[in-house]
Parts: sequence; C-alpha cells; structure tokens
Amino acid sequence: MAPPAQSQKSASPSQPSGKGEVSDVKMQLRQLAGSRSPGTDDAKRELFKKVISYMTIGIDVSSVFSEMVMCSATSDIVLKKMCYLYVGNYAKYNPDLALLTINFLQRDCKDEDPMIRGLALRSLCSLRVANLVEYLVGPLGTGLKDGNSYVRMVAAIGVLKLYHISASTCMDADFPAMLKHLMLNDKDAQVVANCLTSLQEIWGLEASTSEEAARERETLLSKPVIYYFLNRIKEFSEWAQCIVLDLVAKYVPSDSNEIFDVMNLLEDRLQHANGAVVLATIKMFLQLTLSMTDVHQQVYERIKAPLLTLVSSGSPEQSYAVLSHLHLLVMRAPFIFSSDYKHFYCQYNEPFYVKKLKLEMLTAVANESNTYDIVTELCEYAANVDIPMARESIRAVGKIALQQYDVNAIVDRLLQFLEMEKEHVTAETLVLVKDLLRKYPQWSHDCIAVVGNISSKNVQEPKAKAALIWMLGEYAQDMQDAPYILESLIENWDEEHSAEVRLHLLTAIMKCFLRRPPETQKALGAALAAGLADFHQDVHDRALFYYRLLKYNVTVAERVVDPPKQAVSVFADTQSSEIKDRIFDEFNSLSVVYQKPSYMFTDKEHRGPFEFSEELGNLSIDTELADNVVPAQRVEANDKDLLLSTSEKEDNHGASNNSSAYNAPSYDGSRMVAASQAQQDLVSLDQPPPADVPASLAIDDLLGLGLPVAPSPAPSPPALKLNAKAVLDPNSFQQKWRQLPLAASQEISMNPQGVSCIVKSSGSSSAYARSFHPLHCFRWSSPELQVLFLRTKRGRAFYLSCGLYFNRLCPNLVCLRDQSWKKMIE
Amino acid sequence: MLHCIFLLSDSGEVMLEKQLTGHQVDRSICVWFWDQIISQGDSLKLVPVIASPTHYLFQVVREGITFLACTQVEMPPLMAIEFLSRVADVLTDYLGSLNEDLIKDNFVIVYELLDEMIDNGFPLTTEPNILREMIAPPNIVSKVLSVVTGNVSNMSNTLPGATSSCVPWRKTDLKHASNEVYVDLVEEMDAIINRDGALVKCEIYGEVQVNSQLSGLPDLTLSFANPSILNDMRFHPCVRLRPWEANQILSFVPPDGEFKLMSYRVKKLKSTPIYVKPQLSSDSGTCRISVLVGIRNDPGKSIDSITVQFRLPPCVLSADLSANHGAVNILADKTCSWSIGRIPKDKAPSMSGTMALETGLQRLNVFPSFQVSFRIMGVALSGLQIDKLDLKNLPSRPYKGFRALTRAGEFEVRS
Repeated sequence: MAPPAQSQKSASPSQPSGKGEVSDVKMQLRQLAGSRSPGTDDAKRELFKKVISYMTIGIDVSSVFSEMVMCSATSDIVLKKMCYLYVGNYAKYNPDLALLTINFLQRDCKDEDPMIRGLALRSLCSLRVANLVEYLVGPLGTGLKDGNSYVRMVAAIGVLKLYHISASTCMDADFPAMLKHLMLNDKDAQVVANCLTSLQEIWGLEASTSEEAARERETLLSKPVIYYFLNRIKEFSEWAQCIVLDLVAKYVPSDSNEIFDVMNLLEDRLQHANGAVVLATIKMFLQLTLSMTDVHQQVYERIKAPLLTLVSSGSPEQSYAVLSHLHLLVMRAPFIFSSDYKHFYCQYNEPFYVKKLKLEMLTAVANESNTYDIVTELCEYAANVDIPMARESIRAVGKIALQQYDVNAIVDRLLQFLEMEKEHVTAETLVLVKDLLRKYPQWSHDCIAVVGNISSKNVQEPKAKAALIWMLGEYAQDMQDAPYILESLIENWDEEHSAEVRLHLLTAIMKCFLRRPPETQKALGAALAAGLADFHQDVHDRALFYYRLLKYNVTVAERVVDPPKQAVSVFADTQSSEIKDRIFDEFNSLSVVYQKPSYMFTDKEHRGPFEFSEELGNLSIDTELADNVVPAQRVEANDKDLLLSTSEKEDNHGASNNSSAYNAPSYDGSRMVAASQAQQDLVSLDQPPPADVPASLAIDDLLGLGLPVAPSPAPSPPALKLNAKAVLDPNSFQQKWRQLPLAASQEISMNPQGVSCIVKSSGSSSAYARSFHPLHCFRWSSPELQVLFLRTKRGRAFYLSCGLYFNRLCPNLVCLRDQSWKKMIE
Repeated sequence: MLHCIFLLSDSGEVMLEKQLTGHQVDRSICVWFWDQIISQGDSLKLVPVIASPTHYLFQVVREGITFLACTQVEMPPLMAIEFLSRVADVLTDYLGSLNEDLIKDNFVIVYELLDEMIDNGFPLTTEPNILREMIAPPNIVSKVLSVVTGNVSNMSNTLPGATSSCVPWRKTDLKHASNEVYVDLVEEMDAIINRDGALVKCEIYGEVQVNSQLSGLPDLTLSFANPSILNDMRFHPCVRLRPWEANQILSFVPPDGEFKLMSYRVKKLKSTPIYVKPQLSSDSGTCRISVLVGIRNDPGKSIDSITVQFRLPPCVLSADLSANHGAVNILADKTCSWSIGRIPKDKAPSMSGTMALETGLQRLNVFPSFQVSFRIMGVALSGLQIDKLDLKNLPSRPYKGFRALTRAGEFEVRS
C-alpha cells in the first residue's frame, strides 16, 4: 500500500523513522488478532498505545492498518477508542482498507451501550472516504432517531460531516429536514445546538444554488425560531450559547419593544463566567441598538463593568482578545472608559502584547480630566527596565500630546525624558518632539533650549538622528550652534550609514544656509560635494537638485526648500472611518484583533472552508496563497490614492463612485502629479516617507537635466544599469509603480464578450453572485503583448486595472505603466 | 470553527495532534509557528492570535505547554482562546498538573478528552464534572482498583446521566455518605504603589469557591452581609439570576465536587495590609538599596509567606544584599527574591546592600519594580462577609464549613 505522503513529510529528521519498530508491532498485532486467551486485551492495549504514540510523534504507521482492523473486534471501550482514533487518521489514505472497518463500526452503531453507539457513529462519519458514504446514510438516519441524546448529538454533527464528503448524498437523504425537525423539537439542548450549527453551515453553502436552502436559511432568522432559541437559552451549554447568540445578532427585530424584550431576556448573559458568551452578548446588544442613539449609550454604560472584569480576571491571552475589542469600542465612544482609566495601568508581569494594548487604551481614553494622571503613569513606564515598553510609553505620551490635552505639562515631561540620558528614551523623545513642534510651533523656544544641549553623538538611531537634524535645520536661527553641529555631522558624512539621515542632513544644511548664509556656506559646499559623490542614488539626486536650484536662483530655492510653514493641525489617521465601521460590524471576530475588516485578510473564506486543495497544508503552495492575501490588503488600503489618480484621468467615470475617497487629504494625490508641480512636491519632500523618494527624485532629475520627457518608454539613463536579478518585494513594487507618470497610452478596445469572459473566468457564476474576491488576477495574451488584469472591488463597482507586458518590443524593459481603468457596474 | 489542535512542548516538539474536520492541517504549521516563537525570543511575548500563511493560529501557553489551534474561517477569537484555556484547565484537573511527561504518559486520555470536548471544530462541553463521568481520571485509586479487579478500563461504562438531566451540571442520583458543603472566599489583592508610597490602584478580585459533597438534588441559598460592596459579578451557570437581582441572594443547585460559584471585583480599596518601602540612591558607580517591610493595617490575622521579588536592572553588574530577617537569593536571571515569611514581633524586616553599576554609569537610570506576595488566612480583605447558607431538599443534616483567604495578586511597588 502506498504510504501517505502527509505524515512522512512531517516527521522531523531528529525523530526515528520507526521502520523497525513498526514492523515489529505489525508482527505482534498479527499474532494477537486471532488469539482469544484472557490476557489478550491487555497486550492489545499496550500495542495500540504504542501505535498511537508513534502516530502522535509523526511516524507513519499506516502500514499496520489491516492488522489494527483485525484486532478491533473487542469489547473493551478504551481499545475501541484508540482503534477509532487510528482509523480516523489513516482511513483517508487507505480507502480500500477503510472498507474493512465499516463492518465493525456499523455493528458498534447498533451496540446497546449508547456511548459506544455514539462513538462508533462519530468515527464512521470521520472516515471521510467518498466511496463509503452509502454506508453512512443508514446509521446516521437511525442515529438521528436514537433514544439517547448523546447519539443524537453525535448524529447531528455527523450529518454536517457527511455533507462535506458528499453534499448530494446528504441532500438526497433529506437529512436537513430531519435536522430541522430535531432542532425544533428535541428536548436536549446540546442536540438542538448541534443541529443548528449543522443547518447553518449546510444551508449557508447550499443557499447559492438552491432557492429552497436560501429560504430555509431565512427561516432560521424568523421570529418564531429566534424566540424558540431565546426561550431555551439557559439550557444550552456555554459554547452553544455563543452559537445561538451569534444567530440572534443577525436577527432584525421589528420594533423597539421587541429589542427591549430581547435585551431584557439576555441581560444576565453579561454575567456569565465564560468570556466568549459575554462578548457574544455584547455584540448583540450593540448591533440591536445601533439605530437608537440614547439606548446605544446606555448599552455602553451597561457593558462597561463586565468588560473590565474580563480584562482583569482572565489569563493574558483572554485579556488580549478582550482589550482588542475594548480598543475598538473606545475608538467609537472614548468617554465610556474615561473614568476607568486605572484599569489600563500596566502591571510589571504582564506580557508585552497586553501592555501594548493597554497603552493604546490609555492614549485613547485620555481627556482633559485624566490626562495628568495618565501621563504621570506613562512616565513611570518610560523609566522601566523593559526597553520596548519604555519606547511604547513615550510614543503614547506623544500621541496624547498631539490630542491637544494639557500640552504644557506634557512638553515638560517630554523634556524631562531628554534629561534622563538613556539612549532609547532620548531617541524616542526626539522623534516626538519633532512631531510636536510641527503641530505646536509655539513651544519651539522651550524645546529648542533642551534639544540644543543634546550631543548628536549620543543619538545613534537613524530616526532620532533625522529628527534632531530636522530641528537643527528648522530652528537654525534660534540655536546658536546649529551651523557648527551640522558642520561636524557633515565632516563625518562617510560614517553615516543611513540614507535617511544623509537626506535630512542635506535639507537641514540648505535651510540653515538660507537663514544664516555666512556661517554655513562652507558646510553647505562640503555637504553638496559629499552628497554628489554619494553612492546612494537618492542622496546624490537630492544634492544635485539643490545644487542646480541654488545655481538657478537662490530666492526660488528658498521658496522651494524653506517656505513659511503652517502648523500641521491634524496628522493623517491611518484608518478611515469607513474601515472602522466595517470592523465594528464584525465585532467579536478576528477582524477586531487584526484591526482590519475581514475581507482584507480572509478572501479565501468566501469559497467556504472545504474547497481548498488537499495539499493546502503544504507550505510551498501556502506562500502563493499568502501572496494573494497580501496584495488584497495593500490594494484596498491604497485604493484611495488609486482613486484619486483615476479621477484625474477619467473624471466622467469615477465621479459617481465613492465620495468619501475624495474627501481624503490630497497628500497622496499630490505625489501622483509631482512631476508637473515641482514646488508642491518639494514641500512634501521635506518629510518624505523613505520609500517614496526614489521615484520622485528620479523625476526631479529628469526635469533638472532638461531632458525631454519621452512620450514612449524612455531609454534608461546610462547611470542606471538594469539588474538582471532584480528583487523587489511586492509592496515596494506597488509603490514605485504608482509613482511612475503616465508614459504612454494606447486604447485597446475589448468587446463586451471578452469582459464577461474575464468576469466568468474569475469564479463560478454562483460565487460571483454571492460575493467577490476582493482581488483577482488573470491574464490575457496575444502574440505581441500580454495583458495582466487586476480586479479590485470597491462597493458595488469593481475595477479592472491592466498592466501590459510587451513580449517582443522591449526585451529589457520589463513593464510599462499603463493604467487604464474600466469601471463596470454590476 | 477550529480545524486542528496541537499541543507543543517547550522545545517546540509536537506532543499531540488532533484533527477536527475533514480539512487536514499539516504539521508543518507547527514548524512555522515555532520559528516565529524563536524569532520573537520568548513564547510569552508572542501575540495570542497570529496569522500564518495558511491559517489563523490561536495559542495559549500554560506551564510551558503551548496549546495551538488553527482555523481558516472567521470566528470569535475569544471563543477559541477561552476554549483552549478550558482545555488546559481540564487537563490540569485530570492529570494533577501539567507538564510534558504527564501528557506523553497519558496521551490516550488527552485524546479521549478532546474527543468529547470538541466535535467537528465546535466546542461541546468543557464542564469538568460531566467529563469526569464520561472519562475516569487516571488517579491512584483507579489504578489500584484496576490492579485489584483486573478491569483496566479507565472509562466508566455508563453514559453520563447529566447530559439528559434537567440540571446539566449535576446528575440526579448522587449519593454521599457524609453530607458536607464548604464555601471558601478566596481573594487576590492587586495593587500598584508609587515610589512616594501613594496607592495608585488597589483592587480585589475574589472568588467564591464551593466544594459540595451533597446527596440528591439540594437547593442552596447563600447570602452576604454586605453585598453592596461588590462591583461586578460573574456567576457559574447554576446560579439563578433573578433572586440575585431582586435581593442579592445566591440561589443554586450545586454541581458535585469543587467549582467556582461566582467571581467578583471590589474596586478602590483605600489601604493595603503591609507596606514595602524601597529606597535607592546611587552615586559614582554604586547604588545603595534598602527595602523596609512592615504592617500597615493589621488585618487581625497573621500575614505569612511574605516575599519581595524584583529584577535587578540590566546595568547592575553585581549586587551584595543582606537582610536582618529571612533569606535573600539572587537567581541566574538577575531576579532577586527575599523571602520573609512572617513579620517578627520585635523588629521590622529590612534588606539592604549595594549594587555595582556598569562601568561608565554614574547613577542608576532604570528603577526596578518590586513584586510582593503574601497570604492571610481567615480574612477576606474586601470586607465581604457570608451571612448564611441555607440548604433545602436534603435527606439529612449536612455539615457546613466556611473559610476565607486573601493573598497578593499583582502587588507591585515601584521605586
């Protein structure tokens, strides 16, 4: 028999291959199989144990399958259990031999002991061999009608297992109807709950193809069914309660009286000992009262105490899950926990992931009245032994300061951090002081006085160094030594490894020069020379650009490099409110933990859990899958600026789409049109995210050199050599891709058939009707060119973006940018 | 819906694998997971919910054993975490404690338990009382019994009556020779004390633990003298909530054996029973430390098992510490622990000494937090008092016992 590849693979090299042992066991089992002597069961038990322990440590013992089956005729229940376990694990790979087990399992299904009946039925359903389903129908049918609830409970889940092996067999035998009957009439709550889980899944998967199933799925949410469950809620086990509550959360009551009835009935669930039940109840309460603002607020008040108890009483893992939810809530309603901020004080022994969430909570609940206490507490952590913790807490202080409460006191505290003379504290604080100054320029005097005392030698981290240099440049007129500090930094140019720091150094020395020319001129010259000789492309380009700018006209240079600045009033929020709402709708799910709506990370899910290829466990395939997921997130997260760029090109199309995207700050968008608006671009260059620099600087270079912008693929400048083995991670590729200007455009019309063909190729029509995968890639090729289509979905519309790959024209130029967007309305 | 559960030892070895659905999860996921742990340095630091390339993983770590669950579908994270914690609790309950050898020796029982606790990825029952009726725990008694009777099965041959009774946590026909019920108040004090001695936060988390050995279907009512001090309560499913809401009375039919009847919090306590005053002063490369411990508010009963623990800051090269009472130990991971035991009548315990700092460092710049633990028998520091316990529906007069205990939870003094 062919050994399954699965378990062979997983056995780690350090473990014994176990070949000798296995054949040994095989011999012994064979001897025992026929024997009827009194001690047989004990011997068998030892052998079975051995087999299972081999199985557990990953040795492939499928070769003893037939011997195991031969030995399985026993009345000993533990032996039976071990045998079931073994059979369940290996039957899948030995479908022919699995037939042997059917016989004894079927016999056990008729045993007089309900426990054995149940166990046998469970094992029978767990064999998962497609050609044995015919043997399942009978025992399942009897199982569902069994007098004992244990057997019925097993059978109810068994139907679901059967459905996943062979949906048609399950539907033909009319099991869903039997389950429904059982669900509404059985007196054992666990049976009812199991029926519910099975039915939810079966009808959920069937609904796309069968109208009847869709209707049945609706009836699960009908008033009588929901009330039936609610009235029995206390009979259910805690886990079953979670399932029921999840169902009820989808129910839409007809009027507010009904809502209050449901809430009154379930209020005591908030005091359940199981956190999962509490959270499921909270989710339901929040969903039910979404439309009633004042009641919604009362709900917040009501759920506060249970949530806080969950945080402080459970294990760290539980606290983590609950805190993630609290964080979501506090984002929507910061006031609810503002008086309970002490609950989020970190304890020394807590794991870092809990502390980090607690810090986020503290930042979120800070308001006028508690800021002082919270910041005092955070300062304690800054002196903490734990360095990551100290960093996080300084960041938290900064975040609170940017929220505008009691800035005065906070600035004092931050400056005290600088005096602590600890490298990581100083580094973190510098970055924060920089951000603070961008928002509150009025504090510059106090800060500068302290910052000026910091020796740049004590600051090693690139981010902090860059921040310090930025301040030196920005406040050059207030700091006596600024030019000289910068000068000494420039002298050590070669020892500075971070390109970010060198870029900042260039800009700072420029600013300094524009304000105090006589003192800085020499240093500027040295900096530009060093910059031009720099091996880093961006640094080189920026130095060249400054040089030409200065040569052209100093006043223009001043306007470009050092224009009067406005204080930043609001730092861009990373998450849009729309996404926050989406996450809120998915309260009590993984989305909350990841702080992303589920469509961003589980696009596979739409296919249903069981349509994955069997080899999915194999990691080589996995990475591909993972790649599919990651672009989905990226594209969604970035489609704001994608949309903006579209709007420039296709005004008539995009306008009706998503208004919120247009309200977004145009910061990103400005980069898109950077080439034509050099000034604007340079202002934003002042604090550019590092990854953005290459492309836009390259453009500057083109402009500065006065080369004509080629309408067709420009020949790459001689300095740039194409790397034959270029490696670019998807993220930065995407970023660079977006920053390229439109090089050439070509209209290729595609007939509607082609479009619909693409739509179809991306999924079966049923999947299409239900839900889109947020992202899909497919290819259409012809002799001259290949078109790669990328489909993204947003709202009810979806976009096709295509990339062209020329097969013959430019062999060394891999791809051109042509983004033409086609919008299709569903 | 969970697809698979793995139990990993503290070296990352797969001790147990339980596939739950038709979708087989390959073991290689554990290798991936363990690589993550190694790259993080410390398994405790790894976030409990992480996304691997193929699955979403939930992990709960107990006594060095990692309970790992995989899923591919959206599900309530707390449900998975809570379930894994229960699995850990039940296993601890069954095996006496939790370690690698115990699990390897008893893997058949672990498989059996998991089989009953979860089916097709949905948790069924995690109630230890019910499980115990289906699968006998591997205790000495059953071992002896099996040797004597020759019946080796560690599995009771009867189906749990509870699954079909109207009170799911109790079977109907229990018989005990001695009718006893014990109620314990166990409280933990969580506190943070600032360097200037101010109480930043002081809270009590308490549990009412009941051990019931009663025959038949008894109906119990427990009332407190001062229930109004409780802030937030959580109840065992057996507690009827209406009487509590109306009169703050706990009315319940108890499960058999030990269980946690309710848990509560009492916020904003004003004082702690003991004080710990650390003082650190540093100067030219050495740091002097002295810690004083004494009774602040006498709870009326003796305070014992007092220990003070702290982690020496990384910049400390060596430390020379001594105490006038109790023993001081410095462990390899720079944890310093001072066990005091009871506070003597005649003197106040103090620990003092010097610590040498890294060369070049003049003054100490990170300050340790001191973790304090203590235990007070016979007192519930929150002030909660049991008023009375009534038992109805019992064949004979039972014995009732009450106890109270307070210990330090996260009791932290900053310096």
